[in-house]
Amino acid sequence: MKFRVERDDFTDAVAWAARTLPTRATSQLQVLAGLMLDATGPALKIAAFDYEVAAQCGTAAAIAEEGRALVSGKLLAEITKALPSAPIELATDGARVVLTCGSARFTLPTMSVEDYPTLPPMPAVTGHIEGTAFAGAVSQVAVAAGKDDTLPVLTGVRLEINGETLTLAATDRYRLAVRRMKWRPTSETVEGIAMVPARTLSDTAKSLSGSGAEVAIALGSGPSGEALAGFAGGDKQTTTRLVDGSFPAYQRLLPDSSPLTAQIEISPFAEAVKRVALVAARTAPVQLGFTADHLVLEAGAGGEAQARESLSIGYDGPDLSIAFNPAYLLDGLNAVESDVVHIGFASADDAEEAAKKPAILTGKAPDDGEVPDYRYLLMPIRLSG
Amino acid sequence: MRLVIARCSVDYVGRLTAHLPSAVRLLLVKADGSVSIHADGRAYKPLNWMSPPCVIAEADGVWRVTNRADERLVITLEEIMHDSSHDLGVDPGLRKDGVEAHLQVLLAERPDAIRAGLTLVRREYETGIGPVDLLCRDTDGASVAVEVKRKGEIDGVEQLTRYLARLEDDPFLPHPVRGILVAQAITPQARLLAADRGLGCVTVDYDALRGLAPAIPTLF
Repeated sequence: MKFRVERDDFTDAVAWAARTLPTRATSQLQVLAGLMLDATGPALKIAAFDYEVAAQCGTAAAIAEEGRALVSGKLLAEITKALPSAPIELATDGARVVLTCGSARFTLPTMSVEDYPTLPPMPAVTGHIEGTAFAGAVSQVAVAAGKDDTLPVLTGVRLEINGETLTLAATDRYRLAVRRMKWRPTSETVEGIAMVPARTLSDTAKSLSGSGAEVAIALGSGPSGEALAGFAGGDKQTTTRLVDGSFPAYQRLLPDSSPLTAQIEISPFAEAVKRVALVAARTAPVQLGFTADHLVLEAGAGGEAQARESLSIGYDGPDLSIAFNPAYLLDGLNAVESDVVHIGFASADDAEEAAKKPAILTGKAPDDGEVPDYRYLLMPIRLSG
Repeated sequence: MRLVIARCSVDYVGRLTAHLPSAVRLLLVKADGSVSIHADGRAYKPLNWMSPPCVIAEADGVWRVTNRADERLVITLEEIMHDSSHDLGVDPGLRKDGVEAHLQVLLAERPDAIRAGLTLVRREYETGIGPVDLLCRDTDGASVAVEVKRKGEIDGVEQLTRYLARLEDDPFLPHPVRGILVAQAITPQARLLAADRGLGCVTVDYDALRGLAPAIPTLF
């Protein structure tokens, strides 16, 4: 194998693929610590695989001699980052790879290419979506995904395809985020559901979002029948195993309508929540007191530090006192992507009832007939006494 | 235990010499014969102390404490504000695994916190090589051996595996026998090993079980 590549292209490609390298290499999977450099095609392909996620990245290269080599991914990533700005030449020399860049020269040991597992092939493409919009939607939803591995099904983002509608949903039981969007399926009658690990999906969507490229989404199964999802854009493609288990039937949690809503300008509201939450202990709530066109935020208790701040808002309902986990509230405020948040409560007459039932955060008023594209359902914390 | 609060100055003469100028301090004379001088700070650390065995000679306004190595602590008392003696009896000692034992008690009361539908058969069920913390029954009638740890590590999985091997040969137990490792936190390695051996892993919230933190309401 022998090829010549541009320094920046190669560095980016190596760095991107290296993110999928397993963090802990166990002895029998030592080959997985390697990045596969594949110069058998017209372009150079760099791949990493940790048995869950496979990432492959292509980059233009002048290939003088076809071949493949497996080198330590961590080392290669560190080396390429530090290289001077000059074209890179890579060539195999027996069981070693020689990398030359300007006057710098590295000799790296290689691992057996034959021992490297076959990467799961990308399933047939199910449809396309604009990369930046997809990344935005994923980040809006992934924020609500669970981080606790004891409930694996909640660590995924549920991707539901229904013809031209793509619905993303995630929940950690305390909040639920749902985003609906249009996309371009390869067939108008296509349907499918995939639970994609939230972290992998966020990373992948983000890395595919640049340069306004289209992202291809592919749902299917791998060589041994396991469910797979694939994402491809530009020269990059990622396939990932899916999360097992059945996602809670979340649709029934979402209210059809909100009898009572408050309209609050997000940026002053978020700032106030952040300030007031400074005195709240780790999981302590921030209390929101709604009165006519007025909101009072309070946190802290008893002899400890206390904080209080008031805001002018749009609200026309009974006096309502409701408490939320401030971090979850802020996640929701950041995710609605609007200047004004509409918080919908479950009851317009019974303030006690409204304070116990989940509130729904949307970026636009729910009363103009259609369901908002993005909904963030947040469970309040009950106040004692 | 004798507690004396007094304005005093202290001179230590031994391997080195040290002097504590006059100030109000707490003098502790413990039943083991030790003497320590505490300021209102430094947590458990005295300013000066004499380990037992030592001899205390109390004269008017002066204590002379001498140990076997003939090191001396001379405490000059100017004003005594407090002097009391208390019999503390025999101390049961520090139980470092208190959390683990308490978790076991709490989970015995609420086995459904481990897994819905689980009922307790008995605590400390003897396997012949040591007792398994909780023996429970699953909804389908299967036996479930539960090993409770503060932190779930490889050792806990190994221990549970050994118990299960014994319990599977127990003719009096309804079969199959399953195993669950319960801890406040479980290491990824232990989780992996447990999964390999077909054992369940459950993390529980000690504070929530104790009823310290109100359980946070969930959407479903």
